[in-house]
Amino acid sequence: MNAREGSFPPEIENLVARLLIERARPLVVCCDRDWRIVDVHGDVEAFGCDGRGEQDCAVEFEELFLGLPLDEPVDLPFVQLKTGRVAHVSLVPGDAGYTIVFLDAQLEHDRQRVQQQLGNEAALAGQQKTRAIQQLREIRGELEQQRTRLQEANALKNALIATLSHDFRTPLTSIFGYLHLLEQHVDRDDDTQLSLRAIRRNATYLLTLSENLLEYGRSESGATLLNPEGIELQALVDDLDAMFRPLASDLGLAFLIELEDRGEQRPILDETRVRQVLVNLLSNAVRYTARGGVVARIAWRGDVLEAEVRDTGIGIPEEFRERIFVPFNRGVRNGSKGAGLGLSIVKRLVEQMRGELTFTSVAGQGTCFRVVLPTLRRENGDADRIADEGAWMHSHSALVVDDDPDVAQLLEMLLVDIGFRVRVVHDADTAITEALANPPDVLLVDVELPRLSGNTVVFRLRAQGYRGRIVTLSATPTAEARAAAIAAGTDHYLTKPLNIEQFVRIMRRAVGG
Amino acid sequence: MSGQARKICMLGDFGVGKTSLVSRFVSNTFSERYLTTVGVKVDSREVLRDGADPVKLVLWDIAGRSALDALNTSYLRGASGLLLVADGTREATLRAALDLLMQSRALLPKADAILLINKLDLVDRWEVAPATLAELRESLPVYETSARFGDGVERAFADLAGRVAA
Ligand SMILES: Nc1nc2c(ncn2[C@@H]2O[C@H](COP(=O)(O)OP(=O)(O)O)[C@@H](O)[C@H]2O)c(=O)[nH]1
Ligand SMILES: [Mg+2]
Repeated sequence: MNAREGSFPPEIENLVARLLIERARPLVVCCDRDWRIVDVHGDVEAFGCDGRGEQDCAVEFEELFLGLPLDEPVDLPFVQLKTGRVAHVSLVPGDAGYTIVFLDAQLEHDRQRVQQQLGNEAALAGQQKTRAIQQLREIRGELEQQRTRLQEANALKNALIATLSHDFRTPLTSIFGYLHLLEQHVDRDDDTQLSLRAIRRNATYLLTLSENLLEYGRSESGATLLNPEGIELQALVDDLDAMFRPLASDLGLAFLIELEDRGEQRPILDETRVRQVLVNLLSNAVRYTARGGVVARIAWRGDVLEAEVRDTGIGIPEEFRERIFVPFNRGVRNGSKGAGLGLSIVKRLVEQMRGELTFTSVAGQGTCFRVVLPTLRRENGDADRIADEGAWMHSHSALVVDDDPDVAQLLEMLLVDIGFRVRVVHDADTAITEALANPPDVLLVDVELPRLSGNTVVFRLRAQGYRGRIVTLSATPTAEARAAAIAAGTDHYLTKPLNIEQFVRIMRRAVGG
Repeated sequence: MSGQARKICMLGDFGVGKTSLVSRFVSNTFSERYLTTVGVKVDSREVLRDGADPVKLVLWDIAGRSALDALNTSYLRGASGLLLVADGTREATLRAALDLLMQSRALLPKADAILLINKLDLVDRWEVAPATLAELRESLPVYETSARFGDGVERAFADLAGRVAA
């Protein structure tokens, strides 16, 4: 069949025209060149133009055709008009103005909208699902870790409370009381005074140990206050010798403790903790050795302290090696009489001092523990620090961003205390302007600002190329919150309640102090 | 009409917040609900400027999906400014915005363009890294915005107004 070009019979043309007009409900508006309506034909109601002022229509038309070359026809499908209706809009330029034709496109628009909405929502939901699954995985991992940590900490805490309240505190109090009485009654130059001093010394160690245990139980996370000081290694070695030689000889064991390389130096270390590490290692060595002996060597290598405690004892069987550092591992080693705390404390203390703890052991032949402890000089300042303090003082600046005036004031006091010049601002925009105009050495941002999180401040600064140090404070101790802050570009993430020592250390380190 | 008017096209992937940015800017409102834009909606607001005549921004909110094919249609014609929008929580939308920029620049070489990275209130979930934006800033103005709370919105539109009015 051949389709013929050209016109249809008039009755068909009329029919088609009527159908199209019914569907499209055309509105034809003629305006002059200032968009003033000159003439209107068609379905005024369909476009809701009837109720509106001419001025409004003029503005709408002008905006619609703004910037277009109006000497040629313009065609805009799917225009949402001010009245809310959707139309296909065409403009035909004429001699005196323009003819604008509106064809109703609401139905087609709605149909397409439903379709696209479904597609878009599905795409967005897909992305969100992927992300949510990822997050769930992370949260689960984190929860598992937390659970393990909590179980350990809990076991430790319970036992500590029991141990400390009875087995340590009470007898120590009575020892010190009787010591005091005895010291009053014994003549100053009597040899017995020496014995009493030895008792006092050892009782003091016990007290130190119990105090540290308390601290250990308290601080489940985060750094503990280290106390760097110049220590007299020879005196330490002498003390240990006086402490363990009698013990060893009672058990028929040989005992030797040596200080290699005895120079003049007084390494900067945390004496109480170093002592405690060695006391624990030595008492374990003596406890688990039936024949032979114990040899300890201590050496100062200029920037690290090396200590080695070697025994000829029962050794640690392969299958227990993982567990010896777990607190309260009673029964792991045969003949164990202690609480099973010693090695876990040693490990903890060595970690606190950022040292290393290693061991080798052959079951039935003996064990050798090695500890390497770096000097605390760089991290925590040293004897020279007091002299430097003056110069350091006020040469560093900090900008504190916190909306809570009390917290801001607390931070300011802390920072001024350690020698910072401090500016405080309370909102994100001021913080950004201020940090860019006058970059501080450290920017301290609270995450929990009202509305937008403090991370946005950090992000926006980093996105402007800001390179200064940033420390973020937050009340949320989760890995996820930390990751978010780090992703936004912070250098340090500290959680509240603030660990003051850690805070001070990080602030100092941030400015290379 | 008083003063000058300039046509600005909002360009960006679907769901990045083009419609939301326009309603925040024009009527200071925000809706959580996502309603896909089909075709175009034209809105306007006058921007006052320090020491210069006000300029009316006529904002063309173009459908996210059809934006690319819209380049061939009449939607873009006559625009003096391009406001590209990406969603900080979806890195892919930044690439889409930059694609749109390249293609629309070919069509409108003289138009001024700025880039908005939206949903700043969700910064904890952003996939776009700050360093990326620092780099982009060397080639075009970049603003982080939140249509939800309004942060950065005024400033971004004011900047574009200044550029297109000049
Ligand atoms: N949280 C948040 N959501 C936003 C923001 N801007 C837009 N949205 C949401 O993102 C979705 C898509 O926004 P819309 O403006 O329709 O995006 P368009 O497709 O680019 O026009 C909607 O659900 C909005 O409520 C924002 O700044 N923050
Ligand atoms: Mg939209």
